[in-house]
Amino acid sequence: MSESGQGPTSFSPTSAPAHLVEALGIWKSFGEVVALRGASIWADRGELTAIVGDNGAGKSTLIKCISGIHAPDSGSIRIAGTLTSYRSPEEARRHGIETVYQDLALINDLAVYQNVFLDRELTWGFGPLRFLARQTMRERTQALFEKLNVSVPSISSRVRKLSGGQRQAVAIARGVMWGRELVIMDEPTAALGLRETAKVETLIRDLVAHGIGILVISHNLEQVMRLSTRIWVMRGGRVVGGFRTDQVSKEDVVAMITGLQEATSPRSRPDDGDDMGEPPEPTERKDV
Amino acid sequence: MAMRTVTTQISRAAGEAAPGDEGRPTETRSTGIGSRLRRLLGNADFWADWTAPIALIVLSALFTLRSPVFLSEQNVSGMLADSSLIIVMALGMTFVIAIGGIDLSIATTVTLASVMMGVAYSAGWPLLLVALVGLATGALVGCFNGALVGWVKIPDFVVTLGSFSLTSGIALIVSQGIPVQISNPLLNIFSTGGIWLFRFNFLLAIVLALALHVVLFHMRFGTYVLAAGGDLDAARAMGIRVARVKFLVYVLCGALAGVTAVMLIAFIGAAQPAPSTQFLLTAIASVVLGGVSLFGGRATIHGPVIGAIFLTVLYDGLTLLGFSAFYQPLVVGIVVIAAAVLMRTAR
Repeated sequence: MSESGQGPTSFSPTSAPAHLVEALGIWKSFGEVVALRGASIWADRGELTAIVGDNGAGKSTLIKCISGIHAPDSGSIRIAGTLTSYRSPEEARRHGIETVYQDLALINDLAVYQNVFLDRELTWGFGPLRFLARQTMRERTQALFEKLNVSVPSISSRVRKLSGGQRQAVAIARGVMWGRELVIMDEPTAALGLRETAKVETLIRDLVAHGIGILVISHNLEQVMRLSTRIWVMRGGRVVGGFRTDQVSKEDVVAMITGLQEATSPRSRPDDGDDMGEPPEPTERKDV
Repeated sequence: MAMRTVTTQISRAAGEAAPGDEGRPTETRSTGIGSRLRRLLGNADFWADWTAPIALIVLSALFTLRSPVFLSEQNVSGMLADSSLIIVMALGMTFVIAIGGIDLSIATTVTLASVMMGVAYSAGWPLLLVALVGLATGALVGCFNGALVGWVKIPDFVVTLGSFSLTSGIALIVSQGIPVQISNPLLNIFSTGGIWLFRFNFLLAIVLALALHVVLFHMRFGTYVLAAGGDLDAARAMGIRVARVKFLVYVLCGALAGVTAVMLIAFIGAAQPAPSTQFLLTAIASVVLGGVSLFGGRATIHGPVIGAIFLTVLYDGLTLLGFSAFYQPLVVGIVVIAAAVLMRTAR
């Protein structure tokens, strides 16, 4: 699936030319709390890249930096090799990076197609007098859903009337509709039942097959092992390991997450700053 | 399934543009008319759409039975003309409530706008400019409210309660409490002339309602209002500039209060400095009766319009039946609370 023949523990984010998205040496603090300590990852097209780690490891902060919600204190983000800096989700979106939020960010009382086109409505009209091109939006949503094999009762249904899995599918489809480069998903199946999880997993697998780059945070390691192409492990605000999924076992990943592999105390506080003897840092801190 | 078809047809018939006629996957077939009816009547959506129209028809039938004058051409025409002020205010309030806010200053904004028009009229300004002064005053109050609610992020209740007092205070100071007679044949025609049952002021209200229906359901702005009212955080996450939308909604509401002031002056022939607080209550009541969710995110335009007509008919009918005007607030209070309870418990 991937052309980059990375070794099992390749930590250097810059070893392959022009990844789809690269985050390099990201530092981020919230007041006294240092959430990220020079975290670096990258993700490629046609791959599902997963970030795993314990609570407080910095996963959410890292993807929020990539999706534009947080501005990193230092470090850089490159898209297709080009250094970019953005200060808001809208700017990230302009760069083709979409985020499917954990709470989905769907408007319950708007129709499915209105949610898909929210803030990007198609219009017709004269000069500044614009009217919604509802029919076109419905058709484009329908076409997208057919392509992605997403089924909802109707494109015009209110989102309120959908099941959890259908809502998740709508949110993901919206991300895919607009994410030219990368779709970021925060715990895409955390709130779903077994059957719906399976459906969403199928959808995600299809998306990867379609060549879209997906970056996922998940607590569900089984799922990560099933779906992902590549895994980054975070602990204490650092990326402590990166693997191709087919070259590690779940046990290796667990050991890395907890720090059991090298450390004596698996329950070390994520922000206590101790170096637990983990693998070498991918990057130095550098200011932008 | 069968029941779904019924509601679908009904909401289509009502010309309701809101999405979501379709698909409630869990609902399966129902048997017999009884259970269908029970489902229909137990459906909050049904009551949100139909409380005002049904109540209007029932009320009209009752009043017709009791008073032969009620359905006379003159009375109907008069009632519709009376309702036009309430309709225009209810339109503004609908947008504010749809975004999850409230505008308590709407009636006193009408008062302030009339007073400013009185000043402009006394200064000898031409009629068109006088009307623009009214509109601008309303819009300005709306800017004040909207800026504080949207950008300074002060709760709408507090802001508009403050400007409620501010506007009525300024109106009293500027006018010194003295009404200004504004007599103009053109203004007179506006509130007495018309086409068949419909006087010009009512026609203006309906034109505004149609235009705002288009804004709410067929333009991006309306989608943003409903999105921000439905889920503020989600709307923000999707890139909608929520503060700006809120600001514009209050400006719209203020401008419509300005329009109401013009209509009021045409109606009573004077700029009155005394606030008509009943306007505020009636405007909010119309919106509630019209099935607009006070939590925001769900609204129609036709609902509040019919709600406003209903309340006007109620006032008028009570008078026709010989009730003292003292009974009006009592009856309106009962009706509004009953409607709210109906829509809520039906869920």
